[in-house]
Amino acid sequence: MTLSKTIRGVLAGVAAGAAVSMAALPALAQKTIALGYQAPLTGEMSQYGEVFRNSATLAVEQFNKSGKLPGATVVLKFEDSKNDAKEGVNIAKKFVDDPEIVGVLGDFSSTVSMAAAQVYAQAGLPQLSQTASHPDYVKISEWQFRNITTQAYEGPFVAKWALGEGKKKIAVIAIQNDWGQSVVSNFKDAVEKGGGQVTSVEFYNPGNRDFRTILTKVAREKPDAIYLGMFDEDGASLLQQRRQLNVQIPTYATSSLYSPKLIALAGPSSDGLKLSTTFAADSPEPVVKAYVDEYQSRYKAIPTMFAAQAYDATNIMLAAIAKVGPTVDRKTLRDALAQTAGFPGVTGETTFDPQTREPTKQLARMEIKGGQFALVK
Amino acid sequence: MSKRILPLALPLVVALAVLVLVPALLQASGSGYLFRVSITAMIFAILAASLNFITGVAGLLSLGHAAFYGIGAYAAALLATQHGVPFLLTIPLAGVAAAIGGVLVALPTMRLVSIYFAVATLGMGEIIHGTLLNWVDFTRGPMGIPAIPSFKVFGLDLSGNLGSYLVVAVVMLASLWVLHRLTHSYYGNALRALREDDQCADSMGIDVVRLKGEVFAIACFFAGVAGALWAHTTGYISPNDFRFGESILVLAMIVVGGLGSLPGAVIGAVLLIVLPEALRPVGDVRMIVVGCVMFFSILLLPKGLFGEVSALNLVRSSFGGGWKAGTARQSIGWR
Repeated sequence: MTLSKTIRGVLAGVAAGAAVSMAALPALAQKTIALGYQAPLTGEMSQYGEVFRNSATLAVEQFNKSGKLPGATVVLKFEDSKNDAKEGVNIAKKFVDDPEIVGVLGDFSSTVSMAAAQVYAQAGLPQLSQTASHPDYVKISEWQFRNITTQAYEGPFVAKWALGEGKKKIAVIAIQNDWGQSVVSNFKDAVEKGGGQVTSVEFYNPGNRDFRTILTKVAREKPDAIYLGMFDEDGASLLQQRRQLNVQIPTYATSSLYSPKLIALAGPSSDGLKLSTTFAADSPEPVVKAYVDEYQSRYKAIPTMFAAQAYDATNIMLAAIAKVGPTVDRKTLRDALAQTAGFPGVTGETTFDPQTREPTKQLARMEIKGGQFALVK
Repeated sequence: MSKRILPLALPLVVALAVLVLVPALLQASGSGYLFRVSITAMIFAILAASLNFITGVAGLLSLGHAAFYGIGAYAAALLATQHGVPFLLTIPLAGVAAAIGGVLVALPTMRLVSIYFAVATLGMGEIIHGTLLNWVDFTRGPMGIPAIPSFKVFGLDLSGNLGSYLVVAVVMLASLWVLHRLTHSYYGNALRALREDDQCADSMGIDVVRLKGEVFAIACFFAGVAGALWAHTTGYISPNDFRFGESILVLAMIVVGGLGSLPGAVIGAVLLIVLPEALRPVGDVRMIVVGCVMFFSILLLPKGLFGEVSALNLVRSSFGGGWKAGTARQSIGWR
């Protein structure tokens, strides 16, 4: 008797408590809007995925605190693609299945981004890659966007700079991948249009670290300048070997070499390298300074250009969500993304072409002096 | 009568499970993700079974299998995008292209054994990958091939989850059936003899050179078929999909599953495709867990999860194999 009474009392209490918490729910209710982020978090490209995750987490936390989207909270769902197309496609299917996800960021390489893009195009889920540079990537469907300086813009920028400094004969060394191909074709066209001449084009296979033969061959043609399209580790090897061979031809490079690791690896041999960039960690602009300080205090590292691109990509996505409001879905998010114009990011003002969805950005000129990247005014 | 039907009971169960039960469950779950993981697992089951034919059954350690997978994928992709060939033709043609590649590799390496043969195939794999990467005019090089059409035939659209699953499942079952008949037969015995001691096999009248060439042609044919399925189901391929790492992944599948065991190859493929996906919730350490599973399975079960002896016993008892009771002359061998 007493026992059953006790049980009944407990049950009543639980029921009452449940009723109270149910009643309280709508007042606290925060709609959850999810963004998928696919990136190589393990494997040989994990250093890139890691900085993407850092930047994106930072951006989303700042956004949720800012109160730009009342009534909803944005969450990020990360999945590791290992830079493997198999896994990238699996993740794409997983994100498409998840009704909470309204937009996707990533992947890192063009190969994985494009394989996943086939799934997003078919299912109608907006995808914004911070790095996919393949010329065909945004042509896959109206659902693909990217936040990267395309070579169609960067090649002519550096070509004009070099030609303006009187370098008429230029040799090009680039990595043999989709990005390297677009580096070469865009730069070559711009140089020839500007009255210059590309003396030779040398591609090297990814993973190659010995540039002595290429450098010797290039130096024999006595160009006025060398233009590099490669990433930091390759660039550091090449610059060191250039110094060992005592090749003193002025060297220009794409923004991909803007990384503190380049100077750390190449040491004094990197001095004098000229490169274009969209992001400079030592820029005096307040947006950039705020980002760099926050990133540094949290992750104990200076953000690279890749980190900055991911930060901007996430913020562009968030700005588009805020524009639509808490009722955002995949279609309205896509339309809002396509209208992105003059977005004040840390990698310069970004505008998406509403038709081709190609981004345009402002570029800056840099030179390595005394082991430091310095802006060229 | 019953004796003739009974041996085919298990194959029927397997076929029904793959063609009816699993797709019904996947369809009920409504998850495109689970469909996709199953499709990838089936493609790698073909790939693992084909490498098992070379490395497990014939004992030739090949480290360049991803290259033939790549030849098949590129053949299918180029035929479909540039010449509009339907997938019913691209799949066998991709197999033929890869088989020709396989024979061209096998011919100069005939006289090599053990580790020397392995290193030669490693080099061949790198040559083929380098060709896919650098022959820009033909393969589009690092740009890859986008917009490869999915499965469509006679106005029938099989590009959905279920359609793609069924196409891949049918091709996989057919491939496994052919490899099963070749492995579990007197022909398979000859290959196993080649594996154990090729000089001894030669002295017993087995044409070692011819067999090696045939093994390569057959296995590479199926690797090419797997490549064609990958190209059609993914829609975009680039040389990065066919790197050395893929060869090692497939090799790991057949070793974990059991060298020389056809069911083992399939189990290994399913395990190493599904496990990394199933472990997604554990986060960044998932590949370490996968590594541990591989390490302990090799340590504790060096003959594999489903070793060759168990596989041969299973096939003989339930897949219409040999060991028929009867006269003394019939009591050994294969049906």
